[in-house]
Amino acid sequence: MPVEVIMPKVDMDMAAGKLAVWHVAEGEVVKKGAALFDIETDKAAMEVEAPATGRLHHILAVPGVTVPVGAPIAFIYAEGEAVGPAPATAAGQPAEAALAAAAPPGAEVAVAASAAVATPETEVEGLRATPAARRLAREAALALEVLSGTGPKGRIQRSDVEAEIARRRQPPLPAGSGPAPGTVEARPLSRVEPVAPVDWEPQPGGLHVTTRKGTGTPLLLVHGFAADSFGWRPLEEALPRDLPLIRIDLPSHGRSPLRQIGGFADLARALVQAFDRLGDGPVHLLGHSLGGALALALADIRPRRIRSLSLIAPAGLGPEIDGAALNGIARASCTESLTPWLKRLTARPAGISDDFARAAMLGRIDPGLRAAQQDMARALFPDGVQAFDLTAAVERVAMPALMVWGRDDHILPWRQALAAPGEVALHLLKGVGHVPHLEDPETVAGLIARHLAA
Amino acid sequence: MVENQKNIPFAFRHFTPEALRRALRKMHLIRLFEEGAEESYMRGLIHGTMHLSIGQEASAVASCMELTDADKITSTHRGHGHCIAKGADVGRMFAEFFGKETGYCHGRGGSMHIADVKTGNLGANGIVGGGLPIAVGAALTARRLGRDDVTVCFFGDGANNEGAFHEALNMAAIWKLPVIFVCENNRYGMSTPATYATAVKNIADRAVAYAMPGITVDGNDFSAVAEAMHTAVARARAGEGPSLIESLTYRWRGHSKSDRNRYRSKDEIEDWMSRDPIMRFRTDLIAHGVLDAAGAEAIEAEAKAAVAAGIDFARESPSPAITDVTKFVHAEAAA
Amino acid sequence: MNAQTLFPEVQQREMSFAEAIRDAMAIALERDPTVILMGEDIGVYGGAFQVTGDLIERFGADRVIDTPISELGGAGVAVGAALTGLKPIFEFQFSDFAALAMEQIVNQAAKLRYMLGGEAAVPVVFRMPSGSGTGAAAQHSQSFEAWFGHVPGLKVVQPSTPADAKGLLLAALEDPDPVIIFEHKLLYKMKGPVPLGHYTTPIGKAAVVREGSAVTIVASAIMVHRALEAAAELAKEGIEAEVIDLRSVRPIDRATIIASVRKTGKLVCVYEGVRTLGVGAEISALIAESEAFDYLDAPIQRLGGAEAPIPYNPDLERAAVPQTPDILSVVRRLVRGEV
Repeated sequence: MPVEVIMPKVDMDMAAGKLAVWHVAEGEVVKKGAALFDIETDKAAMEVEAPATGRLHHILAVPGVTVPVGAPIAFIYAEGEAVGPAPATAAGQPAEAALAAAAPPGAEVAVAASAAVATPETEVEGLRATPAARRLAREAALALEVLSGTGPKGRIQRSDVEAEIARRRQPPLPAGSGPAPGTVEARPLSRVEPVAPVDWEPQPGGLHVTTRKGTGTPLLLVHGFAADSFGWRPLEEALPRDLPLIRIDLPSHGRSPLRQIGGFADLARALVQAFDRLGDGPVHLLGHSLGGALALALADIRPRRIRSLSLIAPAGLGPEIDGAALNGIARASCTESLTPWLKRLTARPAGISDDFARAAMLGRIDPGLRAAQQDMARALFPDGVQAFDLTAAVERVAMPALMVWGRDDHILPWRQALAAPGEVALHLLKGVGHVPHLEDPETVAGLIARHLAA
Repeated sequence: MVENQKNIPFAFRHFTPEALRRALRKMHLIRLFEEGAEESYMRGLIHGTMHLSIGQEASAVASCMELTDADKITSTHRGHGHCIAKGADVGRMFAEFFGKETGYCHGRGGSMHIADVKTGNLGANGIVGGGLPIAVGAALTARRLGRDDVTVCFFGDGANNEGAFHEALNMAAIWKLPVIFVCENNRYGMSTPATYATAVKNIADRAVAYAMPGITVDGNDFSAVAEAMHTAVARARAGEGPSLIESLTYRWRGHSKSDRNRYRSKDEIEDWMSRDPIMRFRTDLIAHGVLDAAGAEAIEAEAKAAVAAGIDFARESPSPAITDVTKFVHAEAAA
Repeated sequence: MNAQTLFPEVQQREMSFAEAIRDAMAIALERDPTVILMGEDIGVYGGAFQVTGDLIERFGADRVIDTPISELGGAGVAVGAALTGLKPIFEFQFSDFAALAMEQIVNQAAKLRYMLGGEAAVPVVFRMPSGSGTGAAAQHSQSFEAWFGHVPGLKVVQPSTPADAKGLLLAALEDPDPVIIFEHKLLYKMKGPVPLGHYTTPIGKAAVVREGSAVTIVASAIMVHRALEAAAELAKEGIEAEVIDLRSVRPIDRATIIASVRKTGKLVCVYEGVRTLGVGAEISALIAESEAFDYLDAPIQRLGGAEAPIPYNPDLERAAVPQTPDILSVVRRLVRGEV
């Protein structure tokens, strides 16, 4: 008798679930406990494991279809068992059985995709936000689009806006004194901040994680110093559309809490902790610059879960770095003072548009965040020198690894790539600076896609 | 002398000439008021429908002859006659028809809800049978407060088949309440003949079921109605309980303004019109020397003038403020 | 100098809900000679739920009037009596039977003042034992407050405590307009402190019976007790629910509800009447239309009666109306951001 695969009840009052994706194709072999399919509930996507070992047949539910709890959606036949017509099913699957088939609790840490980057991966829906969140955002002149919601279906709730406001440490503009509410473009980003050094308090909470759903092993993205997960967007659009993504914001970056960092080890520890909370499945790993160094460290510490490693201009492979540019970016309190430093990132100054600079400043509008990053820069790059060394770790890389570097990188000289052992594939891009994934996302995405497929 | 008296109908023995002349004036007023309302309706001055009692004036006026302002009446959708009989002012009635602030209900009630609580008229009622239990309640109040007021409950032949009729008569009887149920049987509940819709021959026969006197009278005979009422009111005031009077009459007009009179013949209508209760009463008054022809003409002319003045008053009166749409839903909050 | 000033400590007494209503009626009969009681079996029987009790012995059959089984006529007599100077308190044996008297309540009592341009008043009080939980099935267990709450000219209250049952009845008697009091049958035996003597609980005023910041639960009648029970349980989980006893369905206390939702950002309505087009719909709508809208941080939740007549089987009967675990579940999900 084939084993029935049902839509499991994974939430107390769940009556039906939406099938998101099958991880195993019709007729393929699956092992008991392996990821079989994903379902979407109001709360989150959830991976469901195979209830038996065998070949998958009679797939009754295609992705996108909503299926009542307990209804069969496929059958698993033991190896050699004759595959007949789809068997009739016993009504009333016991709840225990359904629950047993549910995803492990670890899957719950996956946070709903942020509204800001939701467009490519979910069906087009209007932005979801509660009236209270909308009001708070309006009063704080925050654009809801830059927030990610933690409520059902990514709904932005009051707490999400409050967290963002707290993060930005920005007192709400007095009514009537500023630009029209909700229009980010009109905000006076070039307003001069007080000269006095800003105090900042470390904040509680884990690192901010967002995901993009897809098929197969996800790609984990670790951004560089003074960047955040939004910086991956051009590359994401160039990568295969069904490639699942996990993005982590580093401490004191993006939407992660501000943290005191004594040195590189603290940062690596924070990343490992966040990685461990993602579950125990394998990932492909990609890091840029400081994120590249951290990816190297993570690959060194958790090699078994890293299927492949991709590094874009990774730090940690030599002492030289443009410390002035890093400090300048961390310090800049307005678009005008930020732009000249940003222009060092690309091969040619024209590579940084005014729009890009304004958007970058918007992400750094919180003086607390800037102060924390300045402190971090002092700890990681004292006197303009990389105070950490990952050349030993790169020697130990155990998984297929790829390195991409721009030949016109003004921040980290490409020659540091030569610290890598011969097994690491090295791609040096002409006419490209420190941010190849922004300057030439198609090429970088192509290299990575081939690397992951190999 | 005694023999003479016997040949004189009750009303002419019992009421003063002045009271009888006032009765004639009221009957004319009712007729002229309704004709005036009808004409105003046709001119588009009145926007709702109306139920006219032309032809039933004797019944209404005779029923109220012995009532004071302390006595109560409950009325029906065909209630203009009861209203005027109980003493209402035709000017304020017209104003109500015209939806004006000066109307009895400040323009909120219209033809179907005219009331004048000060003269004891608890109101016309748009629900067939709606006034029956209310009349019993009013009688209960009189009993509870130790007053000798009576309540006259007008209703039509249609209402005698409503549950409320039976519940009300039963309660009035078991509690021996001072209420007189006056059924103006004008033969049709809208289009349905009472003879079809009612199991008993006479509606008054139903009194037996509630252990109260029941009498059927010619409703177009002023004196006959007045006599039956006299007996019933006396019984009620004496605390002996309710009575049921069936007053046989006829409405000349249709049920309402939308009636096409498909259920009765022209002959039938004309036959009843030839027995006009007002002309009958007027002739009797002259015959019994209460007034002469000139006096009767003068009374009618006076009523005509009152109706004309009433229409003028209504036309010139202000409409309610639109912002007052919810005024009178509840008592005004105490200042 | 009255007893209360002489003995200030004797200002309230423990009474059952039914006793408190009887106390109110006795005080009213004592104070006001125009007050009468009417209803089926309210005399020597003492009322179907023993609410009138011994009042017939104390005030006589002239003022405690047994009516025939004639709901329409009886209600109409009460309306007529009110229209002409009495203050009748009319007891329906079950609120369900008020359906027989809809004509007099809705077409007459509610509208007479208006139809007559303010020239008349109908100060009648209709008492209606209501609600499920007694195994009396479909025709003796309904909750009609939304029906009557839909009628301009009526006032509709639902006390949840003995003290309010008394105070609202005395307030209803002072009100110049018709008032309908829904008395939940399961509350009749509930005891609570009741102030002695005459006092009134304002009609149209809700009561915040528990303060909290996480969620507002607006409940009525017996649901107030279920909401409070749920709130106590939720407090152990760190969820501080604010519970509002609606008390008055019409007029509804917009200000209290709006102020609370502005504070909590979350609203759960709990009521026994059928969920659809019920009291919760009105509460939800008034929030959606009010300045509290901008403070809503989750969809409004309604817990109401099932879309079915009240069934006989006890398990079905319980399932047909909100119970404490239902409130717990919906609040937990709301506070966790799951809805």
